Amino acid sequence: MDFESYDVLIVGGGLAGIRAAIAAVEANPRVKVGMVSKVYPMRSHTVSAEGGAAAALRPEDSYENHAFDTIKGSDYLADQDVVEAFVREAPAEIIQMEHWGCPWTRDPDGKISARPFGGMTTWRTCFAADKTGFYMLHTVFQTSLKYEQIKRHDEAFVTKLLVEDSRCVGVVALDIRTGRFDAITAKSVILATGGLGRVYAFTTNGNICTGDGMALAYRAGVGLKDMEMVQFHPTGLPFTGILITEAVRGEGGYLLNNEGERFLKRYVPNKMELGPRDIISRAMVTEFEEGRGFDGPHGKYMHLDVRHLGEKAIDRKLPFMRELGREFMGIDIVKDPIPVRPVQHYMMGGVDADISGETEILGLYAAGECANVGLNGGNRLGSNSLSECLVFGAAAGRAAAQYAASAKLVTANPVDAMLWDEAHRVETAYLEKKGGDERIGAIREEMQREMDAGAGVFRTKEGLEKLIQQLGGLRERFERVKIEDSSKTFNTEIVAALELDYMLEVSQAIAVSALAREESRGAHARRDFPERNDEKYLKHTVAYRKEGARPRLEYRDVKITNFQPKARTY
Amino acid sequence: MPDKKVTIHATRYDPDKDEKPRLQAYEVPFYDESMVVLDALNWIKSNADGSLSYRWSCRMGICGSCGMMVNGTPKLTCNAFVRDYYPRPILVEPLNNFPVIRDLVIDMDDFMHKLKAIQPWIIRKQEMPLGAGEHRQTNEQIDDFRQFSQCINCMLCYAACPVYGLNDEFLGPAATALARRYNLDSRDQGLKQRLPVLADPEGVWECSFVGECSVVCPKGVDPAKAIQQTKLDTTMRFVLPYGNRE
Amino acid sequence: MSTEAKAALREFRWHMPANWWTRNRHYFLYVVREFTALPLALWLLWLLVEIKRAGDGPTRYAPHESTAFVVFSVIVLLFALYHSYTFLSLTGVIIRLKVFDRPVPPRLITLAMFGAWAGASVVIGFVLIWFAR
Repeated sequence: MDFESYDVLIVGGGLAGIRAAIAAVEANPRVKVGMVSKVYPMRSHTVSAEGGAAAALRPEDSYENHAFDTIKGSDYLADQDVVEAFVREAPAEIIQMEHWGCPWTRDPDGKISARPFGGMTTWRTCFAADKTGFYMLHTVFQTSLKYEQIKRHDEAFVTKLLVEDSRCVGVVALDIRTGRFDAITAKSVILATGGLGRVYAFTTNGNICTGDGMALAYRAGVGLKDMEMVQFHPTGLPFTGILITEAVRGEGGYLLNNEGERFLKRYVPNKMELGPRDIISRAMVTEFEEGRGFDGPHGKYMHLDVRHLGEKAIDRKLPFMRELGREFMGIDIVKDPIPVRPVQHYMMGGVDADISGETEILGLYAAGECANVGLNGGNRLGSNSLSECLVFGAAAGRAAAQYAASAKLVTANPVDAMLWDEAHRVETAYLEKKGGDERIGAIREEMQREMDAGAGVFRTKEGLEKLIQQLGGLRERFERVKIEDSSKTFNTEIVAALELDYMLEVSQAIAVSALAREESRGAHARRDFPERNDEKYLKHTVAYRKEGARPRLEYRDVKITNFQPKARTY
Repeated sequence: MPDKKVTIHATRYDPDKDEKPRLQAYEVPFYDESMVVLDALNWIKSNADGSLSYRWSCRMGICGSCGMMVNGTPKLTCNAFVRDYYPRPILVEPLNNFPVIRDLVIDMDDFMHKLKAIQPWIIRKQEMPLGAGEHRQTNEQIDDFRQFSQCINCMLCYAACPVYGLNDEFLGPAATALARRYNLDSRDQGLKQRLPVLADPEGVWECSFVGECSVVCPKGVDPAKAIQQTKLDTTMRFVLPYGNRE
Repeated sequence: MSTEAKAALREFRWHMPANWWTRNRHYFLYVVREFTALPLALWLLWLLVEIKRAGDGPTRYAPHESTAFVVFSVIVLLFALYHSYTFLSLTGVIIRLKVFDRPVPPRLITLAMFGAWAGASVVIGFVLIWFAR
């Protein structure tokens, strides 16, 4: 049997994945790059990013300021050497995107403009109106089409990493259209599969954000780092969870409670609406609990008010927000306040990787949201993630290309045997399975409800213990899952089952990591341990999978260079 | 409103079993005023029939996955509200003019090839080094191509285009709009490279200007305009003595 | 996907039904617009015949006495007006003009086109009346 074989194989076709692909080819034009994505790349969830990408480009800004804002924002859980490298690389990446055609919004002199953003002390968020992710994704994707060395496998779902002797030699992927399993071998593999927001019920994330890359690495024996750090964005639309960008506040919007009061003055008096996301989300939940939220058919909410900005400014800088309000809420944000409430948005945690994306497994790299390279710590600052995808996507692409140049592709076991094993596993577990009485949808919805309740904005020991119990029960129910679709062709039910399998895996890592961190830091807020505890927990949690049991946790020191931990007030 | 129900007639087609597509009816609870057709499909998949296949992701009108024919009109189902159809039944079919892979899933490989053919990237005679910083470009210069850059590749325009339905060699609305997006970009110098594809008989000249592509576009792109402008441009280059200059 | 895998896929291919243009008002108006060119061409042929007759002497040329020609001409005039209207309405969409680096508003371009059309009609009418005297 013949197998597709690559020097660098990328799993995921979002911003980090495509950036990695181009970086690999530009580092070495002879490198053969494959890209497997479960959707057409332009559908990747990068497309939904709105506000912008941070880089210290302006003369009044400095690397040190950007680094300090990021580290303070992370509640000192970021690795400072990683942050320092990141802030130095980010400006060139923004320029590179400009050269590739990204229509950045400009200053009157024609240079790339910037806007203020939460937790940033100066204007450093470059933006393309309020569809920055959409423009960046389409720009890199369309640019990638000119490289003949990049070959895509669209709508293929990776079910397993092929690992031999702690070395990654490729993947097994299900071709969704034909139902065929393929072994795709590679000298190096980069995971760039994005986030896991769909483990929560109320999330800004699209249906495809199911933690695939994290689960793949976790099962292959790589640790998942800081999984308790889940970001809740303060401003999602009730019911749908559609994201209302932080740029709304960056451009001067107010957050108001049911008394018409800018309540953030009690929580982040010096930053007000431009405080970091973790603190503002907690402030909103606190206000709700104290009876100062609006009551709506889909729960409590606050008002985000931009009416004072005027129609012209809104149409110039926030046109997509106006469109979303009109299309999905039936309101005109020029005339009406926007109802918003905190919503799961981003995963700081992820595949344990170093500054060039390398993991513990030789030849396996990770970048973007699915990775945790140590940039975001306990709380990511808004607009750092698009830049992160560029900087660390490119770094992983270069590192993987370099490694591939010296590596030989030899597998100890015959590839078709490995392929047969994996295809057999999935087929017997799902496709040829008889009986079963549990619906995928029912298990998924219950997992999402339990995650919202147990691992939300505020956590407690009891809540997390209960969550872990419930997840265990759901795992048992998943064994009895019923598959109604027996077709080989575009079987989305098999994909949904495989995704649910992954989500149950990473949910457990989140819950167990959160239970063990007995302090409040960044996005991880424990009601029973409201203070930060640097003595005990100025450390990364790394969770390792154990078959049939709770994951084993290890702790690793945070890298401190120039910024000693201080109290975090805004 | 616990008892309100809406009937969804969805196309079913499994090439392993079916000769041709058929319709299947589902009763779906109309559980919320904000419910969209995609929510109804998701309800079916979660609660009634796990085998119904369709694509979706962002459910906020930007990823472009969930385009389908809703009561005969191409729509993003994440943005087609059930309340606008209720109490009449809703007919959900795969996008017109494309081969059907399965149920509501169409084959859009043809567009992916056309997208590549128009060379949708910045082409320059001389690449500017990164160290030289950004190209200067004003917001007004961006306005020249802004609307053509809004395309999310959702394929609604192709589903609305009878010309494409009759001849799938036609380059079509979205690909031409994207070519125009780059041709109008002040940073781009690739017009000449793109012209052979655009000025081909199967390019812009195949369009007889039905204009429905621009009507159905969910993002306010006007592909019909892009095509007619390209016709004018190519003609001017041919007719006028200075037309062939850069 | 490889070509052989693709060939193995049994996709269903729809074909456009012959009545596709009745399914949507825009399609219908489009077909009407395209169809107007046909009577216009016929009318021009008829006009050529009449001109040929005019060459045989003034007594043979009397189109205004043929009711059929008058009725047909009126219908064709309506078609021609509709076709011209749809064509000129588009000019604002298609023509991009910049004056002092500012784009000219599309409505102004369309208005100018309709103005030019009206102007040309007046001039032609004037010339015809002039020669008729």
